[in-house]
Amino acid sequence: MKLLTRFPWLFVYAIAYLVFLYLPVLLLPLFSFNDGTIVAFPMKGFTLKWYAGLGGQETLLQAMVNSLIVGIVTALVATSLGLFAARAYVRYRFKGKELSEGLVMLPLVIPGIIVASSMLVLFISLGLKPSLTTVVLGHVFLALPFAVSIMKSAFDDFDQSLEEAAFDLGESIIGTFRRVTLPIVAPGIVASLLVTFTVSFDEFVLAFFLSGNQPTLPVYIWSQIRFPAKLPNTLALGSLLLLASVLLLLTAEYFRRRSTKSA
Amino acid sequence: MSDQNIIEISGVEKRFGTFTAVSDLNLDLKKGEFFSLLGPSGCGKTTALRMIAGFQDNDKGSISIDGQDMADIPANKRPANMVFQSYAIFPHLNVGDNVAFGLRKLGLSKAEIKTRVAEALGMVELGGLETRKADELSGGQRQRVALARALVMRPKVLLLDEPLSALDKNLREAMQLEMRRLQQKLGITFVMVTHDQYEAMTMSDRIGVMFAGKLAQVDRPDVLYARPCNRQVASFIGGMNFLQARMVGDGGGQMDVDVQGFGKLTIGVNPNVEIHDTDLLVGVRPEQLEIGAEKPDGYDGYLQGEVSDVAFYGESVHYHIRAAGLDETLAVAVPNYFHTVDHQRGDTVWLGVQNASVIDLGAREHQ
Ligand SMILES: Nc1ncnc2c1ncn2[C@@H]1O[C@H](COP(=O)(O)OP(=O)(O)OP(=O)(O)O)[C@@H](O)[C@H]1O
Ligand SMILES: [Mg+2]
Repeated sequence: MKLLTRFPWLFVYAIAYLVFLYLPVLLLPLFSFNDGTIVAFPMKGFTLKWYAGLGGQETLLQAMVNSLIVGIVTALVATSLGLFAARAYVRYRFKGKELSEGLVMLPLVIPGIIVASSMLVLFISLGLKPSLTTVVLGHVFLALPFAVSIMKSAFDDFDQSLEEAAFDLGESIIGTFRRVTLPIVAPGIVASLLVTFTVSFDEFVLAFFLSGNQPTLPVYIWSQIRFPAKLPNTLALGSLLLLASVLLLLTAEYFRRRSTKSA
Repeated sequence: MSDQNIIEISGVEKRFGTFTAVSDLNLDLKKGEFFSLLGPSGCGKTTALRMIAGFQDNDKGSISIDGQDMADIPANKRPANMVFQSYAIFPHLNVGDNVAFGLRKLGLSKAEIKTRVAEALGMVELGGLETRKADELSGGQRQRVALARALVMRPKVLLLDEPLSALDKNLREAMQLEMRRLQQKLGITFVMVTHDQYEAMTMSDRIGVMFAGKLAQVDRPDVLYARPCNRQVASFIGGMNFLQARMVGDGGGQMDVDVQGFGKLTIGVNPNVEIHDTDLLVGVRPEQLEIGAEKPDGYDGYLQGEVSDVAFYGESVHYHIRAAGLDETLAVAVPNYFHTVDHQRGDTVWLGVQNASVIDLGAREHQ
């Protein structure tokens, strides 16, 4: 606070920055309650009808189901892969470890459009038609860096002698993993599931290229924005998704903190 | 194998890349003995213990436990259990489930498991704490849980890697006595790794002293103290004044030596020493030197010097004496009988030594 009174312009800058970042996001829920189809001030009146109308839209619900399926499968696959990769990265020293870690993290910095178009070309040349399966494959690729880094922090403060102790007490390798490793990194697993699900659920570019005629929710929303009459519906849907995402990430953060504390 | 031996280790070597962590390890451990591996940090103690436990393969040699070769037997099938330095208490299980962890694989009934867990917790004086959570335990309690969790398996050998180093001094000393008592009651062979000479001496039947991957000497604590095999072992266990000496005659397990500063003495030949020569190194423990303002009576060798330092330890006072013809000062420890410090820095004093206090450490060249 002292800093802020000494440099008032710093305070102004911080506020302006936050407004610029979050105002558009806050406008979304605001206009979803507007009794009118035109998104502009002044607003006409308060209504919940756009929310009520969501339930009746067949294709929207189908897109929602698609997104849930893709999100859940992606979360499960990416988290399982991340779990084993992270354990290896933290525990073992092996040839090509740095290279492999770098490659896993690469999707964070490659432009999505490049990944999307090259994946489309690859899948088609392999004879895989664009479908939810191809979206899942793309999303696992995107979500893996998140899963690996969350699971790495779960393994970072995991005392290796816990696994040795279990093995020493007569447990098998698989039994040790099930009875000791899994329960101890469980909070990390939950955090990773939630984050990777969110990554997949929100993703647009890959889904747009790879989903064919089975649109996910973001792809569906994009297609609706062209119709002004549908826009308020979309805003209502977007507001709900925003709320769900925030809740999901808060839960994930809670579990991530628990996982670093428990070890 | 002899049926007295529970562990037989012969010619064992372990390399990490080009670095040899343990070399030519030969060691037979007797049934029911408390054995300690003592040595400075990085000398290979943990590596040796982990090879016995089965967490590390040996590159050469063989290890057998209870007459059975361990070469192809993984850690989870060996009749040995381990207490880890970090204790490795499972954080997601309570005390009872921690102790029962290994029992669940043995096909015992619920009631049997319960009895054995209660029995093991009773042994380490944690009776009734079954439902206590792992993160609610003190350091000493964690140590006891780790001990109970290993002992409940009724192993033939219990391996302990610095089991007390995480505890504070008082608790450590109490646990030393308690572990020793437990070991004697159960008759299980304990193999403990430690870098604390006092811990090793107070607890063990025998001690193996290790330096740089090699076992230098294996003996009872009192023998190690009285007859160390070389300068390294002598200085690692207790304090020691080292003096140069010349052998002037020998025979019948005795030799006549001319000791720097003290003159002619007749000392016993140390059977643990490998190589003798006319140029010898001998040692005298600080507490076995007599000090006085007047020349004391009844000693075999004398030396006059000046007090260069006085250190008060409470239970004893240490004087450092500089004498003509000696390169280093001599340390003298005097028990604090009467709450007096009799000599001050700068005083001229007499030191007396008896033949029996002078330890033959072998040829000077081979130290
Ligand atoms: N997995 C490993 N890879 C490479 N070097 C190792 C490995 N484990 C141990 N070493 C090396 O082997 C030597 C002996 O290690 P060890 O852990 O047995 O020592 P220690 O006597 O138990 O020491 P401390 O008292 O510090 O625990 C050390 O120099 C160590 O760096
Ligand atoms: Mg060690």
